[in-house]
Amino acid sequence: MAFVWARLAFFAGIISLFHAGYSAAQHRAYMRVTEQEFTSLPTDISIQGFLSLLMAMYGILYIAGDFKEIRANVQLQNKSWETVGNRPTFYTFAHRGRALSPNYSPPKATRSPLDPIDSLAAGPHHQE
Amino acid sequence: MSGRVRTRVDRGTGEVVAYSDAAVRNNLAVIEYCRTSMAALSGGTAGLLGLTGLYGFLFFLVAGLVLWLLLLVKAGNRWQRFFVSRQSLLTSGIFSGLFTYILCWTFLYGMVHVY
Repeated sequence: MAFVWARLAFFAGIISLFHAGYSAAQHRAYMRVTEQEFTSLPTDISIQGFLSLLMAMYGILYIAGDFKEIRANVQLQNKSWETVGNRPTFYTFAHRGRALSPNYSPPKATRSPLDPIDSLAAGPHHQE
Repeated sequence: MSGRVRTRVDRGTGEVVAYSDAAVRNNLAVIEYCRTSMAALSGGTAGLLGLTGLYGFLFFLVAGLVLWLLLLVKAGNRWQRFFVSRQSLLTSGIFSGLFTYILCWTFLYGMVHVY
């Protein structure tokens, strides 16, 4: 939600900046046509320029992204021991619990990737 | 994930503080983005206002100061969590956007005041 407001502030600031620039160019042309000496911009155009710059910058601050916490221990505080101590290399799948379990039944069909396709398709019939 | 970690001894208390390298680099990227945008936008505003000569460079310094204040407002009152020091946030790379600033300044000055 804050992101939408930041974008709105940014675009409003840019459009207002363009409007101020156009007003300044108009003022310059008016001074040239009426043959007056240009000294400085009218105050309202200057103020509009400043304010729209601030508004666009405020939008950009939030478009640019969020800061991250730089202290390293804060990142590690949220992690459990299961995450930090995870070692996939040491996973054991075929251990002796298979032989010790009273209600373990070995898998029915053991298929190897080297088996031919038709024996795979006819696999359940061989088991009957 | 957490990346490398850099340590630094705190001058006040003398204890070792560890900083996450990835988070520091992320914050620096955000600041660089804001600095470049600020240089372009403030250059456009300087050209629009018709600043010439040293007033334009003064406006550049003022824009850098304003950007520093805005970054501190964004960080909130716990800025120690995001930056190592506030002074280096103001001074580091303040002139990196100078050429972007001059480009936008001269371009918009020409668009508004010359032609």
